Amino acid sequence: MTIESTTKDLNLENLLKEIPFLIENLREARETYLTDAVLLGEIPAPTFGEEERIRLAIDRFRENGLDDPEIDEFGNASGILPGTVGSSSILVMAHADSVFNAETRHVLNVGSDFMTGPGIADNAIGMAAVVGLPKLLNQLGIKLKDDLLLLINTKSLGRANLEGARGFLETKQRPIRAGICVEGAEQGRLSYSGLGALRGEITLILPGNYDWNSFGASGAITHLTRLVNQVMEIPVPKEPKTKMTFGEIHSGSSFNTSPKSGMLRFEITSEGDEVINEMEKQVLEICEQFSLETGTKVELEVVARRANCGIPFSHPLVKSTRRIMNETGIIPKVDPSTGDLNVIIRAGHPGVTLGLTTAENLREQNETIHLEPLYSGMAQLITLLQAIDQGICE
Amino acid sequence: MTSNNQDWLDKNTFHHGEFWDILKLVEEKEKKGLSISLCIPTLNEEKTIGKEVLILRSELMERYPLVDEFAVIDSGSSDKTLEVASNFGADVYLSSDILQEVGDKRGKGENLWKAIHQLKGDIICYVDADISNIHPRFVYGLVAPLIRRDEVSYVKAFYDRPLNYSSGLRSSGGGRVTEILIRPLFSLFYPELTNIVQPLSGEYAARREVLETIPFPIGYGVETSHLLDLYEKFGIETFAQTDLDRRVHRNQTTNALGKMSFGILQTFFNRLHAQGKIDQIPSLETFYRRFEVEDGAYSQIVQEVIEEERPPMMEIEGYQNRKAGK
Repeated sequence: MTIESTTKDLNLENLLKEIPFLIENLREARETYLTDAVLLGEIPAPTFGEEERIRLAIDRFRENGLDDPEIDEFGNASGILPGTVGSSSILVMAHADSVFNAETRHVLNVGSDFMTGPGIADNAIGMAAVVGLPKLLNQLGIKLKDDLLLLINTKSLGRANLEGARGFLETKQRPIRAGICVEGAEQGRLSYSGLGALRGEITLILPGNYDWNSFGASGAITHLTRLVNQVMEIPVPKEPKTKMTFGEIHSGSSFNTSPKSGMLRFEITSEGDEVINEMEKQVLEICEQFSLETGTKVELEVVARRANCGIPFSHPLVKSTRRIMNETGIIPKVDPSTGDLNVIIRAGHPGVTLGLTTAENLREQNETIHLEPLYSGMAQLITLLQAIDQGICE
Repeated sequence: MTSNNQDWLDKNTFHHGEFWDILKLVEEKEKKGLSISLCIPTLNEEKTIGKEVLILRSELMERYPLVDEFAVIDSGSSDKTLEVASNFGADVYLSSDILQEVGDKRGKGENLWKAIHQLKGDIICYVDADISNIHPRFVYGLVAPLIRRDEVSYVKAFYDRPLNYSSGLRSSGGGRVTEILIRPLFSLFYPELTNIVQPLSGEYAARREVLETIPFPIGYGVETSHLLDLYEKFGIETFAQTDLDRRVHRNQTTNALGKMSFGILQTFFNRLHAQGKIDQIPSLETFYRRFEVEDGAYSQIVQEVIEEERPPMMEIEGYQNRKAGK
């Protein structure tokens, strides 16, 4: 045991020593992934509408040397770069969908040290890193023993409830040594646990026979506001850490017409699954009571639900990732994931989520990534890949 | 439409999708021993030049070696155009540094003309710097007909699928100057040239052997003069055009288009006279006049627009020497 861990440390030390050269080489090779970030990022890909972006990802997989990339029944693009041994696989994935709708003008700008445009950080640059890996590894002269299983997954965000990644892992029967989820930002992000979450949508409708003359009668906006106030009264515990976010509200169409319907989207995240269940029950009760008291129709639909999961902080994968980050000059920031990492870990594989670079204006039209930190971010990804391949992360 | 026109349209109008297999184009190019230079003329284009250089170099030089040389030729930008272009690996030239013995004139046409001297390719492809949705098709769509069809010498871009549309035929989809100035003029004097869907598009590729034989207006008239001069020399069969789908770029004000039209008209009338289509023209004014209204008061704005021309590059001694390897 002692001998094995010493050997592993030595192996990791050797990899760490290479990081400065790796950063320089990745800076030289930046055209490979910056170009793909633009070409992929300029194709609109709202959740459930990723087909065109996925087609380009498949073309890129093929052009970058993958023999048989495929689009599966869930719309995911995947391919395998065979390893020299190939007894197991390392999964590297990035989600294809974006928060921007198809009508958004998807034009990216490229400056000497930045790229700007909708979805460049989340997650065009992450996708570009994944589709470019076979070419980059080849350019860097890195041959992995494991097969490299690359995935650009669909249906990750919003209402999609991680359907793309879940479908892929449920149907892809391969021995997976570990998984890495790649996000464009924020650099330093280290997720090794999936945070329990519930996403709900409350719809409020005034029925056709709504009595506008009765006391307290009002339009949907007023009702929704009262409802939000009541939901906000639900106690949110500090331990286990819990958060409730009201993310989206829609109602009405003009200045002077009382709207008859409205919709509220919210998310509860908590390190305690039982807390999420309890809060869900309370929200449901508030909705039922509100409906009865106001004569409105109030419905709660849970559109996404995921339980807490994770690997320990002391897991060799996490430990190695932290060492690689430190050596690359990246300060690790532990940040539980509500994204695709959940699926990897719940499928029984160790996994982490990494952020590639620093960013500004996330999820705004002028979302911006910085290029200088990106080269270190890419180096962290490739070094971690090598470390997993060397068996250092088990 | 006459059957000749229809024949030309059927035979010489392409869609970039026909040339998606870039690797095959590279093989055909190499088999014919052709070399291709790509030129982007610039003046203060720091916002879009980085992406153009990144995408076109990466896709058409690194991934598929279709383009042999990639140059940005600049008219003296005061912003970071040159720095950004060079940062992403383009060869960067100041127009004023090329053929210094002939002096320096300010205008896009000057950069295009000097590119003939500076660049080495058998085919030169010109792409404007202000395309915000740049894609490799903007180059391979234009050079492909030249690689495949020896009789074609000059390929123009057009955009937005203007001919066949799902709801049927729609108007040609040129810009405002094309529709209210160029097309009526072509219809009057050069009916065959009306087959060119967007005669003013800034993206085109041509063989060196034809580019070096024609004069270059340095300003607004350069695209129009190319069509008129090459048509006069070689006829409509020398042209082809490629649908490049959508092009997103800056929209110009009506005032700017008026000034542009004024420049184009100078070039056009000079050609009409030189080609004997009209007997004589008076000395043309070079002042473009328009009105502005401020606080209810009208005032006339006068701008000088001189459409100077460079002679055919073949006539320049420095170029003759370069070609002769001196």
